Amino acid sequence: MLKGYLKYFLNKLGWFALTFVFAFLLNFILPRLMPGDPVAAIVSRFAQGMSNTSGVQAIYEQYTELFGTNKPMTEQFFIYLKNVARGDFGFSFSQYPRTVADVIKSSIWWTIALQFPAIIVGWLIGNTLGALAAYLKGGFDKVLMPISLFVSNFPTFGMAVIFMVVFGVNLKWFPTSGGYGFDLIPNFSWNFIQSVIVHYQLPFWSIVVIAIGGQAIGMRSMSIYELNADYVKYSRFMGIKDRKIVGYVFRNAMLPQVTGLALSIGTMVGGALVAEIVFSYPGLGTTLLRAVLGQDYPLISAVTLIITVMALFANFIIEILYGFIDPRIKATQSD
Amino acid sequence: MANTMLEVKDLSTKYVTRFNEGVYAVDRVSLKVEEGKSLGIAGESGCGKSTLALSLMGYYFPPLHYMNGDITINGNNISGLKAEDVRKTILGKEVAYIPQAAMNALNPTRKIIHFIEDVILEHEMYVTKKDIYGRAKKLFETLGLPPEVLQKYPVELSGGMKQRTVIAISVMLLPKVLIADEPSSALDVTSQKMVIKMLKHLMEAGFISSMIFITHELPLLYNVVDDIMVMYAGQIVEKGSSHEMVFDPIHPYSKGLMGSIIVPEKGLRDVKLTAIPGVPPNLKKPPAGCRFAERCRFVRPECRVTDVAMREAEHGRMYRCIIPEAELREAYAREEHKNG
Amino acid sequence: MKHILQQVFRSGKFVTGFSIFMAIILIVVFYPMIITDAPLSIIGQGTFFPPGIYVSVYDSLSSTTYILNLDDATTKRITNKLNDEDRVSIKEWLVAAGIPESEIDTTDTQKLLDQWFTNYDSQKNVPGMTNAKRNYYVRLNTALKSLLSPEAAAVMQVNPLNNELEQIGTINQTDYVNVGEVANIRILPLGTDNFGRDVLTELVSATRVSLQIGFVAGIIATLIGLTLGLLAGYIGGFVDDIITFITNLFIVIPPFVLLILISFSIGQEQRGAFTIAVVIGFTSWVWTARAVRSQVISLRNRDHVNLSKLSGHSIVHIILNDILPYILSYVIMAFILQISSGILAEAGLSILGLGPRTTDVPTLGLMMNWAMIYQAHILGNWWAYMPVLVTIALITFSMNLMNTGMDQIFNPALRD
Ligand SMILES: Nc1ncnc2c1ncn2[C@@H]1O[C@H](COP(=O)(O)OP(=O)(O)OP(=O)(O)O)[C@@H](O)[C@H]1O
Ligand SMILES: [Mg+2]
Repeated sequence: MLKGYLKYFLNKLGWFALTFVFAFLLNFILPRLMPGDPVAAIVSRFAQGMSNTSGVQAIYEQYTELFGTNKPMTEQFFIYLKNVARGDFGFSFSQYPRTVADVIKSSIWWTIALQFPAIIVGWLIGNTLGALAAYLKGGFDKVLMPISLFVSNFPTFGMAVIFMVVFGVNLKWFPTSGGYGFDLIPNFSWNFIQSVIVHYQLPFWSIVVIAIGGQAIGMRSMSIYELNADYVKYSRFMGIKDRKIVGYVFRNAMLPQVTGLALSIGTMVGGALVAEIVFSYPGLGTTLLRAVLGQDYPLISAVTLIITVMALFANFIIEILYGFIDPRIKATQSD
Repeated sequence: MANTMLEVKDLSTKYVTRFNEGVYAVDRVSLKVEEGKSLGIAGESGCGKSTLALSLMGYYFPPLHYMNGDITINGNNISGLKAEDVRKTILGKEVAYIPQAAMNALNPTRKIIHFIEDVILEHEMYVTKKDIYGRAKKLFETLGLPPEVLQKYPVELSGGMKQRTVIAISVMLLPKVLIADEPSSALDVTSQKMVIKMLKHLMEAGFISSMIFITHELPLLYNVVDDIMVMYAGQIVEKGSSHEMVFDPIHPYSKGLMGSIIVPEKGLRDVKLTAIPGVPPNLKKPPAGCRFAERCRFVRPECRVTDVAMREAEHGRMYRCIIPEAELREAYAREEHKNG
Repeated sequence: MKHILQQVFRSGKFVTGFSIFMAIILIVVFYPMIITDAPLSIIGQGTFFPPGIYVSVYDSLSSTTYILNLDDATTKRITNKLNDEDRVSIKEWLVAAGIPESEIDTTDTQKLLDQWFTNYDSQKNVPGMTNAKRNYYVRLNTALKSLLSPEAAAVMQVNPLNNELEQIGTINQTDYVNVGEVANIRILPLGTDNFGRDVLTELVSATRVSLQIGFVAGIIATLIGLTLGLLAGYIGGFVDDIITFITNLFIVIPPFVLLILISFSIGQEQRGAFTIAVVIGFTSWVWTARAVRSQVISLRNRDHVNLSKLSGHSIVHIILNDILPYILSYVIMAFILQISSGILAEAGLSILGLGPRTTDVPTLGLMMNWAMIYQAHILGNWWAYMPVLVTIALITFSMNLMNTGMDQIFNPALRD
């Protein structure tokens, strides 16, 4: 059994590593496919809005070196690799003289603390509701399903805007933007924590609601499918009580939902990033927006790399957990 | 006289679809199976064989609904019992069932032994898991199944092995009646043989006291069961001993059905029961009168007027036709003569 | 084929989705034939004019005036002028002047005015009142008085001969013009946006462009996905391994990240709506490829395919005749899904500022982006973003309904 799991784990690990290498390569190659000297293009774009010419010059030189644009591609790659391995992404154009690493360090935790709990909570609630809809049928199903269908078709940013207008602007229950009160300095005072919690609600729930919609629909059809499966009928006629059968069914219906989550986490993260922007939440989404507005290439590149790694990692964790909860994995891998 | 294991009188059940229409798939069926005997049920696809199998156990859940009739299993009338009592005291214990698609009859994420535990713990109070394992192991060994199967998940078993495992689980509690719904139709030839051998063995070794065997492969039925019933559009149209039913059918439908397989050649063993021209009636609105009238070559105007009752023939045989047995036989003889 | 269509149109969900979608298409096609304005032309000077009927004041002056004596005209006029803040301020003053709070009702305009005029005294000093506030009350008082006074307003014009201001007419409170006789009226059902453009006209045009983006992206994604899926599923072996590997890679790498990188690399100038559509198409074929592959694998050993192989048909023939027809429903469903997700992807990109360049055509995403940048949602200018959101939701919702309807027809196992 354990051997089976180990095999599964190593398999996934290898796969994860390969994907990571590939994502890294993409991140390196895509911007270099731009015609012309990327550094010149980047810096000239950026320099349009900058009055400090010595600053531009400094950045230009630094980037020529960082990118190694005068060297052949393979060498450039190893320079990039070395820099990234050290966590050195250079200076941020738009927030000079802050380094990219610094900018990311101050926003990444916001994103992690917002998105992953939201996606997981949305997943849990959505699956519970979907299972209930399949099992209870009737009125509950008739009300829940059209709502879920409609909600799941909404773009995440749309839900964010609506939440903001309803609960932030009109009802004034929650603040409409930022991660904490603009007059506060991050520290561990009760005041600050309270402010963070209050600011957390709207972005959090708008991501949750979107996730609920999609998951509920998936879980409902999975459960209906399982409820009609032959083993349900057989178990019933062998005298097993309904409560136990429902247990079988939901466990089996949930398993594909777990892999579904692993597969769709990349898409979900994309939607949630845009939701951050709506609320000016101080996470990676907003950082990305500022980087785009400031034509801040190094920051964009680093943020996209980090987001990819986060999504890959989440995916990996889910797959690993999946190996634990689906007994078939251990069983079928061992022989 | 031998004990009656299962007796059903005028049992009717229906499906209620989500548009609230009734599908009257079992209509006033009566049958009787005695200890040590096996009964085969044959009929075209969609005639209600599986529905009858499900209805015989006295445990109904949507979309299937009980309408009326009595079911007596091993002397106890179970029609009046509460569903919960039927579940605890009858299912698995008195009557067990092997579903049509036994390939998928096992929960894919539960080990075989755990499912067996679930089944036994529903019916017996003071057993330990160790006892259950011991019993299961012994049963599997007796039935020629490797006991390692117990520790496996269904995905790890081949189709034939899965089917035999399901059968073994079904007889775990030594039921009086075993209802097998096409237990071998989805399997390859070797596995089919093993399954049939296993079912015969179950009867001989006393794991079960009687059996109902459903299939549309008549040659198989002829080899396995003592009596055969032919079903058409939710009703029994004829019953008798398997030899008589195959070589001397009375009802025009049985005649047509058997006609196609009198010589069970190799190539014919898969012939589906569609040799008779025409299609069966819609069970949502069964026609008045004889349900077979539409396709019957001896049809008369009276056929479509009132329900046709079962008639008795020699050796306790029964058939559902307004034309007397003798006349039918004459007609068959004339046809045979004409065809040379 | 005809049979399948009949079946599909019997599904209530499909029909609902289809009707919504067709309605959108019809509006997008016929609206520009009726309203021929350029969607991006700036007509309003200023931001976010609310929806309504705009009547030219100048033309009203030169139209025939009719005198209507209506009893409630004055009250209505004042009710309209006094906003909630004014009412609260009046209340504050009255309370300071010693009127018990219980006797003041800010919703009863007539009573409030009576109380105001009997009690207000510009000389009286309320403790704690700033100078600004005092001036505000004076202004408010004059404004209210002039509304109540039956005096006419004068209309002046500069005489071109001597450059002097001359009175050319008066406007009484009882003067009316017939809207039908005013030369210039503009109906702005959804007001104007932050640049002063007619939101409705812009929205219709944006919907058209976004749908086009969706279609182009969908066609590209479906073609790539279909080709890869067919190859992987039918040929199998090494080809399958490679394609599956690539597909799995692109499934876990967030497609949005790829979109961002590519869009940014292309640069603002090169980013037309069509380019964006192509980029979206190239980053969203994975799901189709996956689905097609597994369908083809389950098909490729069916009897009819084997028969076709035995009769020596070419791969292309087999794929076209024996495989494609069986997966067509899946492919169509995937295509529909791609369209709606393409529209959403464009919107997401545009909000990030990486959408199509902003100068030639509007898209739903760009409209959303503009509204957000100009804080329409915080300022309460719902007409600038709500119609956009509703349109996006209607499009995706209608497409998903069509899909669900088809799914129920083609996958009876899920039917319920
Ligand atoms: N869940 C259901 N809801 C409504 N009608 C049903 C349902 N299941 C079966 N039926 C209908 O009841 C009738 C009898 O079906 P049943 O499955 O008992 O036939 P069968 O003789 O076992 O056929 P087969 O040989 O194909 O197994 C058929 O007309 C079928 O369409
Ligand atoms: Mg059946």
